Amino acid sequence: MKPIIQVNNLRKTFKIYHNHKGFFGAIRNLFDRKYDLIHAVDNISFEVYPGELVGYIGPNGAGKSTTIKMLTGLLVPTNGEINVNGYLPWKERKDYVKDIGAVFGQRTTLWWDLPLTDSFDLLKHIYDIPHDVFQKNFHLFNEILGLDEFIRTPVRSLSLGQRMRADLCAALLHNPSLVFLDEPTIGLDVVAKQRIRDFIQFINQEKGTTILLTTHDLSDVAKLCERVMIIDHGKILFDGNLNSLLQEFGGSRQLSVEFTEFYPQPLLTNAAIIQRNGNKVVYSFEREVVSASNLINELSDHYRIKDLEVRDQPIEDTIRRIYEDRLLYN
Amino acid sequence: MQRAFSTLKRLLSIQIRSQLQYPLSFIMDVIGNALILGFYFIAFTFALSQFEGISGWTLGEVAFIWGITEFSFGVMDMLFSGFDYDSFGPVIRKGRFDQMLLRPVNITLQVLGSRFVLRRLGKVLEGLLIFIFGLSQLDIHWTLIKILYVPVLSISQVLFFGSLFIIGATTTFWTMERLEILNIFTYGGSEIMSYPMHIFPRPIRLIFTFLVPAIFLSYFPAVFILGKSDPLHAPKFVSFIAPLVAVLMMFLALRFWHYGIRNYQSTGS
Repeated sequence: MKPIIQVNNLRKTFKIYHNHKGFFGAIRNLFDRKYDLIHAVDNISFEVYPGELVGYIGPNGAGKSTTIKMLTGLLVPTNGEINVNGYLPWKERKDYVKDIGAVFGQRTTLWWDLPLTDSFDLLKHIYDIPHDVFQKNFHLFNEILGLDEFIRTPVRSLSLGQRMRADLCAALLHNPSLVFLDEPTIGLDVVAKQRIRDFIQFINQEKGTTILLTTHDLSDVAKLCERVMIIDHGKILFDGNLNSLLQEFGGSRQLSVEFTEFYPQPLLTNAAIIQRNGNKVVYSFEREVVSASNLINELSDHYRIKDLEVRDQPIEDTIRRIYEDRLLYN
Repeated sequence: MQRAFSTLKRLLSIQIRSQLQYPLSFIMDVIGNALILGFYFIAFTFALSQFEGISGWTLGEVAFIWGITEFSFGVMDMLFSGFDYDSFGPVIRKGRFDQMLLRPVNITLQVLGSRFVLRRLGKVLEGLLIFIFGLSQLDIHWTLIKILYVPVLSISQVLFFGSLFIIGATTTFWTMERLEILNIFTYGGSEIMSYPMHIFPRPIRLIFTFLVPAIFLSYFPAVFILGKSDPLHAPKFVSFIAPLVAVLMMFLALRFWHYGIRNYQSTGS
């Protein structure tokens, strides 16, 4: 299969200018400006295949948005190659954007003063969407996103959650083969988040739309993506299966046990006690060293157990460890 | 291309509909605007009545170029509202330019369609009234060429001012600071074009001949249409190059505009 996105040694360098202050400074700025070079995206390469739903994550300023902006044709790369859907995004912009969709969580792509339904009509015209396709898609999306209740409201009066649902619908009405979702759940409550995740999953599975999802919210990634790319300081730190990432960097797991009676030293061979409170004891163990079931067997052989629970390190902690420890830097 | 224009038409009709939501207040707005702007000319006529015209030009003759320049600038200000620095600056800052780049429509047409300030009809109306007043005072020896040249001249002025607006908007790709100096050429240019340009000192005239070729879009054409003698002794053909200058300016402005888009760095996240 041919990749739908192909990126080779992509780099974007920004010049950050230091301005002189004041009136004469402004004039000086015209002739003499000092600047720093910032490699927002530093020599990255990856491929995305049709039908994939890839999570693209990284801390603030890591280069996520810059990558997306180059992929969508908003920014011209400094170096490197991008091929999306057979197009060079920034150069063949007008033809290229016909077959992609994009949602930027921070801002709407809809017309601020228009009622939602007028915005959709305008999109129908702009993308030249056949009437039956438009109707079919709208009804389908409406069912999941529930747009009816605010379809006549101008976009400026919508709540953040409503606006995001509207934006998602708008980005997909023309059946794009590839969609970029940049922070689609930012600032939303749990219910709204779930609705949007359901929709993303539906689009990916039912329509086979390729999705590149940028997010801060790692539970989005955990729920939706099999493949995850982690970027930091403009470099891709990890690109692969989410489970194998957790396996490798998931760190220690925890086993908390409540005994029926008090044991002064309930020791285990391959786990350390990290906390105890009366009959309750929390152990920590490494997944490579011992399995949870072995530990439980060992416990039940020697002690009487009332209750127990096994916990993984939260995915946030795992990713944070990767950022902080630069575990993946060579 | 036809599709693009029908999109432009839709975008504009959205703008117009929303601005006509309260028709009465809109009409009052336009008339009020025309009157306020018109007072400026009325004050000028009283001042001028104390003298025998300016440097050989009568009140009617000044009204002629004043009126046509105001009219054209008003039309331009309406059509090119999207490129007005005051509206294009926020478009860049708020990331709305990104949204436009994501649509499969010509980007220049989208900016044109992004704003259409119908209220500018006030200036258009004012210009028209002054122009008509000028004609009523004058006894022009009309020929077919002169009659045809008046609308051509107005269209040329619209393109000329529009190109200055586009150049101004393009600078926002590099700097968010407002470049006041550009206003000298746009608004200052339209002021200067409202007067017979031979009255200005040589340095100013040279700026508005070679840096911003405004003189070819009002003074020289007027010399021909009004049948004035030209104390600057320019060759006769310069009276007729207004459309050429305008198209050239627009061409250069659009080149600069596209160069600016290539260098666009988008905003934050």
